[in-house]
Amino acid sequence: MSELWVELEINNRKIARKTQAHKRLLDFLRDDLHLTGSKEGCGAGECGTCSVFVDGRLVKSCLMPVAKASGCKVETIEGLAAPGQLTTIQQAFHKTGASQCGYCIPGMVMAATSALRQNPQAGIEEIKERLGGNICRCTGYTKIFEAVELARAVIAGDQSEDVLAEEPVGKSYIGHNQRRIDAPARLSGRLKYAADIRMTDMLQMQVLRSPHAHARIVSIDTSEAEAMAGVAGVITSEDVPGTDGFGVFVHDQPVMARGKVRHVGEAVAAVAAEDLITARQALAKINVVYEELPGVFDPEEAMQPGAVVLHDYAADNIVKHIPLRKGDVAAGFAEADIILEENFSTQQVEHAYLEPEAGIAYVDADDVVVVISPSQNITHHRQMLSRILDRPINKVRCIMSPVGGGFGGKEDMLYQGMLALAAMKTHRPVQLVFTREESIVASAKRHPSRVRYKMGLKRNGQILAIRFSMISDGGAYGMSSEGVMRKAAILSCGPYEVANLCVDTTAVYTNNTPSGAFRTFGGMQAQFATESMMDIAAEALEIDPFEIRRVNMMLPGSKTHTQQELNSASLDRVLEAAEAASRWETGAPHMRGATRSDLGGADTRAPCTLGARFAGGRPGADGKERVW
Amino acid sequence: MERKLRGRGVAASWYGIARTATIDRAGAWAELDDGGTAKIVTGVTEIGEGILTLLAQVAADALGIKPSDVTIGDNDTARSPEAAHAGATRQTYMIGNAVTLACREAKMALFEQIATHWSVDIDCLLAFDGELQARGHNLRMTMEEAVATCKAHGVVPVGSASFTAHGTGLDPVDGSGSPWQAYVFGAQVAEVEVDTYTGEVQVLGIWAVHDVGRAINPRGVEGQIEGGVVQGLGQALMEEYQTVDGHPVTPGFAKYILPTALDIPQINCTIIEDPDPLSPLGAKGIGEPALVPTAPAIMNAIYDAIGVRMTSLPATPEKILQALQDKTPGRGRDVRTARDEGAQSQELAQRRGAL
Repeated sequence: MSELWVELEINNRKIARKTQAHKRLLDFLRDDLHLTGSKEGCGAGECGTCSVFVDGRLVKSCLMPVAKASGCKVETIEGLAAPGQLTTIQQAFHKTGASQCGYCIPGMVMAATSALRQNPQAGIEEIKERLGGNICRCTGYTKIFEAVELARAVIAGDQSEDVLAEEPVGKSYIGHNQRRIDAPARLSGRLKYAADIRMTDMLQMQVLRSPHAHARIVSIDTSEAEAMAGVAGVITSEDVPGTDGFGVFVHDQPVMARGKVRHVGEAVAAVAAEDLITARQALAKINVVYEELPGVFDPEEAMQPGAVVLHDYAADNIVKHIPLRKGDVAAGFAEADIILEENFSTQQVEHAYLEPEAGIAYVDADDVVVVISPSQNITHHRQMLSRILDRPINKVRCIMSPVGGGFGGKEDMLYQGMLALAAMKTHRPVQLVFTREESIVASAKRHPSRVRYKMGLKRNGQILAIRFSMISDGGAYGMSSEGVMRKAAILSCGPYEVANLCVDTTAVYTNNTPSGAFRTFGGMQAQFATESMMDIAAEALEIDPFEIRRVNMMLPGSKTHTQQELNSASLDRVLEAAEAASRWETGAPHMRGATRSDLGGADTRAPCTLGARFAGGRPGADGKERVW
Repeated sequence: MERKLRGRGVAASWYGIARTATIDRAGAWAELDDGGTAKIVTGVTEIGEGILTLLAQVAADALGIKPSDVTIGDNDTARSPEAAHAGATRQTYMIGNAVTLACREAKMALFEQIATHWSVDIDCLLAFDGELQARGHNLRMTMEEAVATCKAHGVVPVGSASFTAHGTGLDPVDGSGSPWQAYVFGAQVAEVEVDTYTGEVQVLGIWAVHDVGRAINPRGVEGQIEGGVVQGLGQALMEEYQTVDGHPVTPGFAKYILPTALDIPQINCTIIEDPDPLSPLGAKGIGEPALVPTAPAIMNAIYDAIGVRMTSLPATPEKILQALQDKTPGRGRDVRTARDEGAQSQELAQRRGAL
């Protein structure tokens, strides 16, 4: 690897040292200087988690070769405030609750700082535009906007610094807007996520992934990779000492492909090497011979007789079917004044947490295999790893590192087994950090759904019967599919008491990217269909959308779709509050937007026209340098 | 037809709290420590939602100290009691209640010693914000002094607890059962503007009303609602992971489109507090339920604006234009003509590239 001498100023300190020529500024900051406050979220300049200032200009450090930064003045999140201190902007983020998982936050603070340095009087529209290159997946941005406006007011002297302080407590800490106790570490970039941790003698792991959606593995030859200088070990499914299989409900997924691959991106082998580059080069030396198999990519096709079978245990490709039956559906439809039918579909959705998967494993002095990762379920991961590694459960230890966004996507186990195996094989700490592309191709998604809906109602809007059928693509492995189907079924027909219903939810194996746990666990797919049907019915029956929901809503004592009697239910209060808060104009939902009088209130934003928001000419055109 | 049309829609929702159709459980340990501080240990915590802060508030309230004096040790299967997992909208409910119960036990251990020390009835002791008093007596001490007094009696004030939520499995034939003991309800209204030339939908306002049980940290609840709404908006309008014969064609954020600062509606939150009758805290949860009604509220608003029913998510500009064309035969030609006429507009010219 060719080397390079760089001299630059970082956070007001002169740095002069040798580095590798291929490095980006981000790599230099993180790997050479251990300034890990700048995060890698995408490596392609799209998410902004790596934002720094170079000669006063906001730059995505993943896009800048370190050679280009030589001779420049660089400012990172670590340099904004003195150690243990926070800038006004960071304090405002703390006050408003603008930091949740915190992974995007160093970059977001840099962008906010840039915005107010460029224009200390920036209005909300300009602030939004200037934050437009930074993605946050947790907060919905709203508290971030509030923080930047608060900081602007304090910096301008319009508000005193007291507004940034903790609110005084009343009679109880329950109901108190306590500022987040862990936010300062996130706001200053001090918090170490799994990819930020360095251990002595640590190896880097890289994973060889399947290029095929469905193929038999004829052979895997790792000898050439293992012989490479700098390679400490190569692992395949052959290295699994225990029972190879994980999953939340059915243990159908091997740690690495065993005998065949079932989706593009499935792990096939992994290399642990002295450094990342060597590990990547070694992957190319692993020779895998595949025999491609026909694949099935549509869940309804996968359910047909004669379809390609993914798993021997499930000849019909059904992961799970959940039925609900309540009352007499035929009698309900017979009594109905109106019967409505519609089909709905929802897409596969990526969690897009800003922190790609990462982890470290090592074997400690007591012979305990320790896995550190941003896992949402260390309890279950430990149980599964104990079986996979064939070790007593107290010889496996899972530690949850700070989670840079999860949303269910870090609940299903994925790579922890590979890390543990490599640590056991090499007896050295091993670290694995996914790229964004790897995270997207290898991690589970929200279940896509197809719903067939039939609803029968009386003229007054009362629902008499529902037939609800949902088919969902579970992808190549079971993961959380069974639970997702169960929750979708239980919640399917919405917060309404329905006397007669017939609900079926079914998840199906295909050779697509697996679907798994994702915030709402099937609940939103099902209720999207139901809530659309409620409006379709309201229009057909000339009833206001709130009213038709009130006619059917669950109350204390109602029997749910699973025939559970509710001990409390608050939907009446919720609907009343929503109607009042939104100043809702009553009426049946016939395309009445043009005549509504409740639109465009002070509680809405202005529509956005891209690029039109900078108030006066070129941003920062006054040429003044501002630092705070 | 006007180019830009607005409309509004509403959707309601419900959700169950904690793990589904099973007995859920969580454990916690508590210790009142030197200086009137506290150590809380539990198995699983922060994934960004603010649970560490919430647990500090809950512990402070139960112990009579300040949240800043609470140290939370967590996240380690070899060092902390099981608290299962960080998901299923269960942390406030399961772990919050486990911590509450553990803290109550630790505080009672302390109160027993202080009642003896002061020769007062234990029921008259009250601790809040770092100070302990005996109501009806002129007796006060700091919690720092109280812990020292307790330890001088030979007692380390510790507590532990397990909290259970009694869900049952579903019948395999008719699905009957009681999957959760606590439910929350919500409703959201969306206001949208649809550009009938480009098919682009902008969400201008969301009114989000959610029952969360007792709101331990209202600002944190708002943060969860706002984040949920924006994930719902992304799913409603732009996000789509696509594969062709199993091969991903949206492998990065250039192809997989996420909501940014410019897509965000004004989000108006209203918190409804209907306390849970079955748990000591009375809190329920908000993490997942917040995004359930967003997409259908937006689709209902699009219908209100332009009279087309979007049944397939996401409602991309392409699908909106197609639906408008299907609704009005011959309209496709009109739209194209209109676009050509509008080409002198710089903004429209920019957008044509995107189309």
